[in-house]
Amino acid sequence: MSDLSHKWESVPKDYETLAGRAFTSAVVNREVDPTCHPLREYNKFVISPGLLAGTQAPSSGRMSVGGKSPLTGGIKEANAGGLTGERLARIGVRGIIIEGAPPKDSKDWYSVVVRKDACEIVKTNDYAGKGLYELIGKIWKDYPVKPGIIGCGMAGQRLLKGAGVFGNNPENADPGRYAGRGGLGAVLGSKRVVAVISDATGGKAPEPKEKERFDKGQKALREALDKHAVTGKLTNAEGKPFGGLKNYGTNVLQNILNEAGGLPARGFSSGRSDTAAKISGEAVHELVDKTKKKFGDAAEGKYAHACHTGCVIRCSNVVPYENTGKLHVSPLEYESAWALGTNLGIGVLHDVAELNRLCNDIGLDTIETGNTLAMLMEGGLLKYGDGPGAIKALKEAYEPASPLGRLVSSGAKTAGEVLGVTRIPVVKGQALPAYDPRPIRGIGVTYATTPMGADHTAGYTIAAEILGIKGTVTDPRALNKAELSKAFQASTAYIDSTGYCLFIAFCVLDNDAGFKGMTDSVSAFLGKEIDVTQYGLAILKNERDFNKKAGFTEKDDRLPEFFRTEKLPPHNVTFDVTDAELDAVLKGV
Amino acid sequence: MIEIHLYGNLRALVSGSHASEDTVLTIEYIEKETFAQLAARLDLKPGDLGDCFINGNLAKADHMMEDGDRVGIFPFNMVLLCGGQHLKGHGYTREDVDVDHY
Repeated sequence: MSDLSHKWESVPKDYETLAGRAFTSAVVNREVDPTCHPLREYNKFVISPGLLAGTQAPSSGRMSVGGKSPLTGGIKEANAGGLTGERLARIGVRGIIIEGAPPKDSKDWYSVVVRKDACEIVKTNDYAGKGLYELIGKIWKDYPVKPGIIGCGMAGQRLLKGAGVFGNNPENADPGRYAGRGGLGAVLGSKRVVAVISDATGGKAPEPKEKERFDKGQKALREALDKHAVTGKLTNAEGKPFGGLKNYGTNVLQNILNEAGGLPARGFSSGRSDTAAKISGEAVHELVDKTKKKFGDAAEGKYAHACHTGCVIRCSNVVPYENTGKLHVSPLEYESAWALGTNLGIGVLHDVAELNRLCNDIGLDTIETGNTLAMLMEGGLLKYGDGPGAIKALKEAYEPASPLGRLVSSGAKTAGEVLGVTRIPVVKGQALPAYDPRPIRGIGVTYATTPMGADHTAGYTIAAEILGIKGTVTDPRALNKAELSKAFQASTAYIDSTGYCLFIAFCVLDNDAGFKGMTDSVSAFLGKEIDVTQYGLAILKNERDFNKKAGFTEKDDRLPEFFRTEKLPPHNVTFDVTDAELDAVLKGV
Repeated sequence: MIEIHLYGNLRALVSGSHASEDTVLTIEYIEKETFAQLAARLDLKPGDLGDCFINGNLAKADHMMEDGDRVGIFPFNMVLLCGGQHLKGHGYTREDVDVDHY
């Protein structure tokens, strides 16, 4: 961006098998100075569609973004559905690297427009400072080819650390497909780029190297997904509700974690909430049905909504306004409903949906922002349970000169420290998501040790923990938390690179044919055998390597003190995994 | 007494229930009753159930109930988002459990 130019490069030989997270983390580790300021010219913003994006493989259209995180100071990858992964893959783009920055005195804003064999950096000052619901509508009018859009909102344009990277959904009705974490929206803002617009006109589906094996693999995976009670079809043969994710979305977990006593309520002070049901996936399902009945075809509420073209799991939703049936926010995920609801003691579905909509509009990560609002509550600026108060505080973010607006956009660590809070739930500066690490210690190990900062998706051990299961090891009693976390972190890194949604894991760990379908489709696409664990560990190695060079040590792989000292009801336990066990997790990686 | 929280399609066991509110059924405690027997008392078959919890811990079929227990009962399609259902060992999400690890 320093001289507003671009160049095309062929994919180098050693990048041939890399896409998604594997691509972004390799580029960041090789090309970004680990000690650079994340919001100045030496950082890079890397985009890469997953390996199988744009193909017929089911639920394979995810896209990764990466860079040095302004929130953690370490390497970061965040991924999302939406349109961009598929659009870029169809025009043969493996990755986009945005580097440099316009001169310091530059006041202009730009967008990067990518087409088949063409790229343009366009001055788009009229895109800056806008709410993102308005912006995506304007971009689809300016570019009437239904492009994929990712970018940063006001928060990222102001270089604030709570900023996520938004993405438009397939209908372009909501900018809610966020690669939310790590403040990467601010990195894009520091390049003075508002939007990356991808136009797939003239493109075609990428060709697998071994077509027959690829087709067989992806079909086996599709069949396994359809049959599974988590990822399966909306209704069974008798027309009764079947697949959990299609009916209730990821927010099916709100009630389940509550019963399990691992749902962090009111700033990680209890594992149970008495208002979980009110903001649960079931409540959204009921509201959608109710508004459909009332408003008929005019109703916009949905469950079993696809976050990207070709998704067969369809765990997304559209939460309607109860009084009009129109779209309020899409999606309302478990993590967001938790962060902006249970975590704040707010049990009014409308208020939680409104907070999520505001985050989407302003360009903020919901997990980080929910935790930031909790710091306002811990610090005495707001009361737990005050939905209207939280909405008012978050709306301050629209005002460029409002100090409170800046604070709510700056992440939990900054807000907590400014307000004298000593219970700040962050690891490496990034706020914890929706599983309390005290009763669910394996996820605590992942939070502590992943190079990403507290991130549940980096190694999703939840079920394995609570239920005592684990993919490849048959007797879970023999498996300690550290090994569990490492195994999950490696396989997660692999899936994050394939374009497959991480949620296929729920199914493929249960179905050998489905697992083989997944690995076959990836290996057949590349025409090369890929080992899941080796591929995943190589990614983790890049990420750990970057963080070491950035100055991270074992001391950064720790949870905040209060998780070790404050017992969490109802199980009344603390996080008691030893430092030695934590240090063993990724030793040698 | 035993306090049972019902979810998903099982809320229908309590008339007038709503998904946006807690659906709680309180039933008599019976001495030496297992969780499987309790479920049978509610006319629920193993195949109807997903992950269930007793006082926040995963419910096993042969778990002996105690007076004052809080039970969470989820239907077959409401489970923790995970793989490895066959390893859960509670015998509900899949009937052909080969090994019970717990």
